[in-house]
Amino acid sequence: MLSIKNLHASVEEKIIIKGLNLEVKPGEVHAIMGPNGAGKSTLGYVLSGRDGYEVSEGEVTLNGKDLLDLEVEERAREGLFLAFQYPVEIPGVSNMEFMKESVNAMREQRGEDPLTAAEFLKKAKDACKQVQLPLDFLKRGVNEGFSGGEKKRNEIMQMILLEPKLCILDESDSGLDVDALQVVADGVNSQRDGERSFIVVTHYQRLLDYIKPDFVHILADGKIVKSGDASLALEVEKSGYAFLGKAYEEAEA
Amino acid sequence: MSQWLEQVIDGAALDDYLAPVRQQALTQLKNDGWPKRRNESWINTPLTPVEKRNVAIATQADSVPVPNIDNLNALDIVFVDGVLVTQINTLDVPEGMAITSLNVDDAATQQAIASVFGQVKPTRHLFGRVNDALCQHGVFINVADGAKVTKPIRIVNLATKNVDAHTRVLVKLGNASSAVIIEQGSGDTDSLTTAFAEYDIADDAHLEHYRFAMFTGSAKQLGGSHFMLHDRSTLNSTLVGYGSELSRLDVDMHHAGEFANAKMNAIYLLAEGELFDLHSTIEHAMPNGTTEENARGIVGDKARAVFNGRIHIHRDAQKTLAELNNRNLLLSRRGVINTKPELEIYADDVRCAHGATVAEIEGEALYYMLTRGVPRSKALVMLNFGFIQELINDMPNAAIRDWLLPVLSERFAHMEVK
Repeated sequence: MLSIKNLHASVEEKIIIKGLNLEVKPGEVHAIMGPNGAGKSTLGYVLSGRDGYEVSEGEVTLNGKDLLDLEVEERAREGLFLAFQYPVEIPGVSNMEFMKESVNAMREQRGEDPLTAAEFLKKAKDACKQVQLPLDFLKRGVNEGFSGGEKKRNEIMQMILLEPKLCILDESDSGLDVDALQVVADGVNSQRDGERSFIVVTHYQRLLDYIKPDFVHILADGKIVKSGDASLALEVEKSGYAFLGKAYEEAEA
Repeated sequence: MSQWLEQVIDGAALDDYLAPVRQQALTQLKNDGWPKRRNESWINTPLTPVEKRNVAIATQADSVPVPNIDNLNALDIVFVDGVLVTQINTLDVPEGMAITSLNVDDAATQQAIASVFGQVKPTRHLFGRVNDALCQHGVFINVADGAKVTKPIRIVNLATKNVDAHTRVLVKLGNASSAVIIEQGSGDTDSLTTAFAEYDIADDAHLEHYRFAMFTGSAKQLGGSHFMLHDRSTLNSTLVGYGSELSRLDVDMHHAGEFANAKMNAIYLLAEGELFDLHSTIEHAMPNGTTEENARGIVGDKARAVFNGRIHIHRDAQKTLAELNNRNLLLSRRGVINTKPELEIYADDVRCAHGATVAEIEGEALYYMLTRGVPRSKALVMLNFGFIQELINDMPNAAIRDWLLPVLSERFAHMEVK
């Protein structure tokens, strides 16, 4: 599915990712944890192709395609989905209009006909129900005036509609209470079908109680410094990142 | 003095019932002459395209196809190259409303016309004066007290050949009456149109107003819409401007009564190399008035938008609420915006706000949309059109909304982002 080899990336000439390797196979859930400033969010931005995030070394392929060679929207159409930590508010563009364009762009990529308004509406309503977003959120400006929790649920709603191959969830748990966390996690879990892969980026282990990872990686100072199974997350939960020793100190420096 | 203005002054005739106003305008034109280069009112809007023109007035015009607004069941009054081509006396005028040409013999009607002609529009506007002096074609719309006229009246100015067109619209809304008036203009050939409209809105009356100033190319338009608001009257106005070689609108809203409420939304979409200038002045002369003005525009490559929004709150205008906002989006480093919101307050118990912003393409929102696979060109339209669309959605008339949205988004979609 996704293969990252020796990735180096920088923002404004500051090197953030320093030789990252990761292999994600179809259907797998990988959690990436790490202290603040380790480069967790940067990884999502680099993979999605955000302007200003320069890759200086390494390679990334998605289903065999050179991801780094593609534009942002092409990566999305290849099946990459990034759920934002801070979803962007776009007043004046309705959620519905936005998602209809997105869904139809994906369909075009797959050689399918665009959905009619009625067909789309039905799908969108179902997706809203799944994440417990009131239907009038479809008519509102994208994320405009949404609470933190509503924004996160809106991200998952989009993910359900777009049916991506690889989902990167960037701190989808931050700012959520337990109930909202459950809704987000249920939304994600409903999309696990043995084919779709997930990278769950989080600071806390809490989310992983709800979304069970196959692998847990600790990211510190731009590299994965330790990998393991779900028990690694519990270890972090118990003793913090200090157990990483040298790598942690570097990240803090 | 410019060659053109000299010819204007020479060509003016003072032989009708409007002579006193025409005479006053001529005197002001002679005394003030052509604006100097550093004249504040024209400093960002060069008048060179008019300066060396020769005055030419059309005496007759053919009927030409009038741009349609789908599903809008309006009563159309059409001027072609400054000539009124609609037979006013054949119109099926809604009950409670009277429409006459300015060329009338009846003394009572002449008197009613003279009570509006040049009485709402301030005398300072250069091309307003020219229109005062020269306009021969115009209509007077009189709405009786208490009449609620829902059928929109659409006044269309079409520029089709190289002449000067001076048309006038005068509207008198009686007490507690209401009307919907649309002023629409278009043309792209070398031409000059001064279309001025004056609205006298009596106590408790309501005017729904639109001005679609869609002149492009070498069609020069210099016009204005001017409103006098009496006690508890309300105005809801939407302006839409395209740019051309020279395009300028002057708007005045004068709160002459208490508790009046004026709302104006203005939209401009300027394609490559176009110029559009909106000067608006809001006079709060009386207490308890409310004004809300939102001007929003998108400025393309090498285009220029000029916005001057002045709110003047007189000493007696206590408890005024006035807000004015101008938002701009630049599509290119070579686009220019000259924006100047002005607040002048002499009363001490008022709430006022003004502001102006100039933005470039929102990188973060664009990125967000791209990560959802939306094509770049479509994302740009959806994103950057949102703030314009808000004003389109704010228009009270659904048929006009449904017509305008695709027209404007199409225009924007063809504007290049550089």
